[in-house]
Amino acid sequence: MAERPEDLNLPNAVITRIIKEALPDGVNISKEARSAISRAASVFVLYATSCANNFAMKGKRKTLNASDVLSAMEEMEFQRFVTPLKEALEAYRREQKGKKEASEQKKKDKDKKTDSEEQDKSRDEDNDEDEERMEEEEQNEEEEVDN
Amino acid sequence: MAAAATAGSGTPQEEEGPGGEAPASQAQAPTSATGARLSRLPLARVKALVKADPDVTLAGQEAIFILARAAELFVETIAKDAYCCAQQGKRKTLQRRDLDNAIEAVDEFAFLEGEFC
Repeated sequence: MAERPEDLNLPNAVITRIIKEALPDGVNISKEARSAISRAASVFVLYATSCANNFAMKGKRKTLNASDVLSAMEEMEFQRFVTPLKEALEAYRREQKGKKEASEQKKKDKDKKTDSEEQDKSRDEDNDEDEERMEEEEQNEEEEVDN
Repeated sequence: MAAAATAGSGTPQEEEGPGGEAPASQAQAPTSATGARLSRLPLARVKALVKADPDVTLAGQEAIFILARAAELFVETIAKDAYCCAQQGKRKTLQRRDLDNAIEAVDEFAFLEGEFC
C-alpha cells in the first residue's frame, strides 16, 4: 500500500471553521495544531467505520447503516455523541424526504414546460424569418428614394 | 397612504416584544442550530475515507452523513479539550502540544496515540 488512508484529509477551511466556532472568541490555533486535528478527524472516521463495519457483519449485512455507526460510537466510548447524532439523523431524514418530494414536483413541472416550450420555439423561428425579409425590402425602398 | 407607509416600515413605534425578536425574524434563527449544521463536511470526502477500508463493502447515505456529523462533533470536542490545556499555560493560541496533551489525558482519544509521528 503506497498511500496511507490517513492522507485523505478533510478540507482545511471547514475544519478551521468548526474549531473556531467551538472555541471562545479571540482564541487562535496554530497551523500544526489545525492539521493535526484534521488528521485526527480522518483517523476518527476510519476507526468509526471499522467499528461500524463489525456491527454490520454481526448483523450479516454488507451495507453500513446509521444504527451501525451509532453502535460504533458507544463502542468507542463516545456515548455523548449518540443523542446529538440521533437528532441530526432525524433532521437529515426529514430533509431528504422534503428534497425527494420537491424534485419529484420539479420533474412534473419540467415535463409540462418542455412540451409548451417546443411549441413556442417553432413559432419564434417563423417570426425571425419574416422580420429579415421586411428589413431588406425597406433598404431597397430607401435607395430608390435617394436617387 | 400614510397608514400603509408606517405599516411597511414597521418599527420603532410598534414594539412587539423584547428587542431580540426583531432581528431573529430577519436572520435565520440560531435556535435550531442543527438546521444550519446539517452537513458542513463534504459527504464525498467522508465517503472516500469509508471506502478506504478494505473490509467495507457498502455504506448507506445515512451512515455517511452520521459519520460526517460525528467527525464534526469530534473536532469540536478535541478542540475544546486541547484549549483547556492551552488555558492552563495561559496562552490564547492552540499549539500542537496542547493536542498531544489532550490525547494523552482523555481515554476516549486513546486510538489517536501513535498516529502523529
